[in-house]
Amino acid sequence: MIDSINRLRFIAGNTFLEAVRQKFFNSLLLISIALLASSTFFQQFDFGTNELKFITDFGFGALFFFGSILSVTATTQLFFNEIENRTALTMLAKPIHKLEFLAGKFFGAHMLMLCFTAVITLVLAGMLYWRETELMARLGDAFIDGRLVNYSDIFVFGLLQWMKFGVLTAITLFIASFSNTNLYTIVVSFFVLIICQLQYIARDAYSTMEAGIGRWLVQFLGLIFPNFQLFNIGDQLVFNVKAPIPAVTILQIVGYGLIYTVVFVLLAHVNFRRREI
Amino acid sequence: MHEGSFIEHPLVIRLRRIVVVLLVLIFVGALLRPIESPAWQVVKSGQSELNLEGIEGSLGQGLVVGVLGGFRAIMADFMWIRVNTIWERRDRTKLDAMIRLSTTLDPRQSFFWFNGARMIAYDVPNWRIREEGGYSEVPDSRQDEINREQAEQAFIFLEKAREFHPDEPKLVVEVAQIYLNRLKDIPNAADWFLKTSKMPNAPYFAARIYAELLRRQGLDREAYDYLRELYSELPNDPYAQKNIILERIRTLESILEVQYLLRFNPGDVSPVIAPANSHPEHSHHGHNH
Repeated sequence: MIDSINRLRFIAGNTFLEAVRQKFFNSLLLISIALLASSTFFQQFDFGTNELKFITDFGFGALFFFGSILSVTATTQLFFNEIENRTALTMLAKPIHKLEFLAGKFFGAHMLMLCFTAVITLVLAGMLYWRETELMARLGDAFIDGRLVNYSDIFVFGLLQWMKFGVLTAITLFIASFSNTNLYTIVVSFFVLIICQLQYIARDAYSTMEAGIGRWLVQFLGLIFPNFQLFNIGDQLVFNVKAPIPAVTILQIVGYGLIYTVVFVLLAHVNFRRREI
Repeated sequence: MHEGSFIEHPLVIRLRRIVVVLLVLIFVGALLRPIESPAWQVVKSGQSELNLEGIEGSLGQGLVVGVLGGFRAIMADFMWIRVNTIWERRDRTKLDAMIRLSTTLDPRQSFFWFNGARMIAYDVPNWRIREEGGYSEVPDSRQDEINREQAEQAFIFLEKAREFHPDEPKLVVEVAQIYLNRLKDIPNAADWFLKTSKMPNAPYFAARIYAELLRRQGLDREAYDYLRELYSELPNDPYAQKNIILERIRTLESILEVQYLLRFNPGDVSPVIAPANSHPEHSHHGHNH
């Protein structure tokens, strides 16, 4: 058991190092930070949204958009690099179980996403703190009840996004486990991401549909694809709204993400163990 | 033997694997429902743009929210800049589509809703009348018809806006303004100003205009009673402009020839300076008239 954990840690560590050294990760991270830092510039194109709300929206947008790209492409690249370079063969010839290999790849990619999410969340929190402090100095009366932004909840949102990226990484790994090419994995993973982002529309629609094939189909889709919209609660978390999100809901969402992550990694293993490398 | 080879066929194996994966996902999905459903209800209740029931044409809304996420605000802003370019060119077909696109991208911005409604109700009728020959050529009946058509479109647009901003008085007062300024429909305008005045954070002027519109309809007695009640209920806030209300009460007392002893006595109410954080021209609470 301890040996297995050590092997997993070794693969995950190497995967993480390999990913962090990639130019793709670094450029995407820099672009995201630059975009976030320029949110005050883009604010001049805005028509009346609260400045802090605008920056938050912008930060969350960057986190979701670039995070999803990174999650899918980095996982695909890290997985297929091992296959194409034949290093997977060498590794699996040693007493390394295929599940350890997959889990190691998953944890490596997930650690990469943790780095990305943490950096973006920190930059966003810093930007908001700077702007809010300036606004407080300028418009003190509007901040009579203290700061408007719940800074700790920005990190809670970051955690939820990381959980979502975990599910996405696991889904990508699952697709890669039966796919033969990089491109196929990336394209299909993005399609699945879009379906997961939008499945709530179908879910809400079937509740008003008459019983029939259509309703069954929508119900079926709602069951097989995770609901990613569940993780998008930034607006409710970060600003003092009338109904803050209860802690139990956050825990439910985290649990939901964790279970789906484990299920997709195990499903990837089902495919991968029969795969000839 | 034959059966065995059929089961071992690569296609059957692949199909079997797909079925197993789907069954596992369905099982997990069903198992997670008790966790997901209550969490989803909480998430949905806090974000009006996710509540698709009762919102017509909400598919596009859901797509935008799902795909663009946080970037939809800036996308909507750029779209609104485009709306203004189209407005300058007076391209009314494109204008309508672009206004709707902006509000679909970011329905949280009330600015898009009431400014879009103004373009639809005030500017487009002008363009249409000019296209048909101008105000001097187009008969009044046709002008009224165009104004009515455009106002109806603006009302539908504002009704949709209120689904996203149910507590925003600006959107309700906009309906009242269109009835009053564009359609010259005083009874309906009065109704909508009254509706506005009852909303939380309603502008003080809504109640004053309602009383004025009662007067214009010849309902001097009703206007007088309403203003007396309004005066008593309003706070001593300079923005409430109680002195104007008192002036109007006095004017109506002269018109209605109210006996001196029965005249309204404002009591010992002296105006006080409003607190620094009070919003200009906005009441703190709705009036209950």
